[in-house]
Amino acid sequence: MTALLELDRITKRFGSVVVADGLSLAVGAGDIVGIVGPNGAGKTSLFGLIGGDLAPNSGEVRLEGRPVTRLDASARCRLGIGRTYQVPRPFVDMTVFENVLMAAQQGGGQRRRLSYARAAAVLERTGLGNDANVPAGRLGLLSRKRLEMARALATAPRLLLLDEVAGGLTDPEVAELVTIVTSVRDEGVAVLWIEHVLRALTASVPRLICLAGGSFIGDGAPAEVLAEPAVREVFLGTEVTTSLAGLAGEAAREDA
Amino acid sequence: MIWVNDIIQGILLGGLYALFACGLSLMFGVMKVINLAHGDLAVVAAYVALGVIALTHIPGVWSFVLVVPIMAVGGYFLQRTLIQASLERGTITTLLVTFGLSIVIETVLLQFLSANSHGIPDGSFGTASFSIGSQISIGWLDLIILVVAVTVLLVLQFYLSRSRNGRLIRAVADDREAAQLAGADYRHIFGIAAAIALGTVALAGVAYFGMYSQFDPTIGTGQLLLYAFEVVVIGGLGSLWGTLAGGIVLGVVQQIGAQIGGAAHPDYQFLAGQLVFLAVLVVLPQGLTGIRRTA
Repeated sequence: MTALLELDRITKRFGSVVVADGLSLAVGAGDIVGIVGPNGAGKTSLFGLIGGDLAPNSGEVRLEGRPVTRLDASARCRLGIGRTYQVPRPFVDMTVFENVLMAAQQGGGQRRRLSYARAAAVLERTGLGNDANVPAGRLGLLSRKRLEMARALATAPRLLLLDEVAGGLTDPEVAELVTIVTSVRDEGVAVLWIEHVLRALTASVPRLICLAGGSFIGDGAPAEVLAEPAVREVFLGTEVTTSLAGLAGEAAREDA
Repeated sequence: MIWVNDIIQGILLGGLYALFACGLSLMFGVMKVINLAHGDLAVVAAYVALGVIALTHIPGVWSFVLVVPIMAVGGYFLQRTLIQASLERGTITTLLVTFGLSIVIETVLLQFLSANSHGIPDGSFGTASFSIGSQISIGWLDLIILVVAVTVLLVLQFYLSRSRNGRLIRAVADDREAAQLAGADYRHIFGIAAAIALGTVALAGVAYFGMYSQFDPTIGTGQLLLYAFEVVVIGGLGSLWGTLAGGIVLGVVQQIGAQIGGAAHPDYQFLAGQLVFLAVLVVLPQGLTGIRRTA
């Protein structure tokens, strides 16, 4: 069976900085994969390469076996790659509903009534039902994050790229968004999920990838990946060290 | 009474100025391109109108029926090729490229169509008018042009706020990368915006050179581009109503300037417009209706 998304030895350089060093990866439908790594590891660039904002220097991106490396972001979106930005980028002068409607019509390829119905359903699902007619520029951070996800969902993705859903939110807020993500995954959508807040991630993903210096340095069950010496080393000195140590400790206890 | 007449004539002219300027404003608002060839494209539309009239023998005033779609299609392709290519090389490049385009258009027109002045024949209807009292005389065609200009601006406003493509244009103007992620091909949307810009400037060109002025290859940059800039600055960017307000202010001020100058100083017409333009820049840099952007 062909994987939904395949990266085949993707390399991307900005001058002398290598943000992706021959990365290969396969993700199947309904998979949910967390991605962690220190700042500047190339996480967001990886999403750029998958989503089409960035063109690799070499290598190939395939969606269901079909090469999409030469397609731009809008064409890839129409083929089923949805993406959210780390810092939400709503169309501030349009209402929340218009934001989502546009995504349903363009990315989702739906017309008229169908697109209106899809937009309304997505707003309901992401908890924005009461804000439909509010200009997006007036939303607070949590609602902007919801809208970012709503817009991605409206494009009817088969692969959802989530960049830092939980950043800047409180625990209950994060929990709400995680519930939405897992329900999306349950429908067979593959999810790639970058997150700094490890608690949100480790609780919901069966597979975790650690990216550092443009290379994958860990891939597997979260506790195992976080226990690996190479992974612990790149995280040393950052604010997540303590929670990592805690998780690694738990993993060790489970192993024992 | 003569002043009342001037103001009425200024308002009639102002609608046309607004129609000239709305394409310039739209292209800047959507793709952040300052199209320095905007005035020359109105002149190109006027030459296309002459060609259309010669080939089909339709009455001059009706030539816009063919000229506007021709220029709109041309605008789409101009955007998708030359302007898109320059956009990808940065904002300053678009300025240089449209400046170059302006020079190329003028030179080509001079080379192949001579520096002679032409007019678009508007038939007997062009001079038909009705009077109010003894001093106020309003041309039917002037009035129709004002009504058409306001209608076009209304339709455009409605299109941008309500239609599917209008929504896309607003989205792409706001954040083209985010629009890509929502599945919109921004290059196509830019093309549509350019088609609208050239369609409206073509309509304005045919009307202006039918009613108010002769044209030659150099009038586009020498006069029209300047007027369009003045309208946009006076009215304020980003609002079609601002553009209409700016057009009417410019039209009225020019008429008053012409009245003061009389036959001895015909240039007062242009001077008056430019003085108001400068005054607005100093006192209200965001224009009459412009939104002061803080972010």
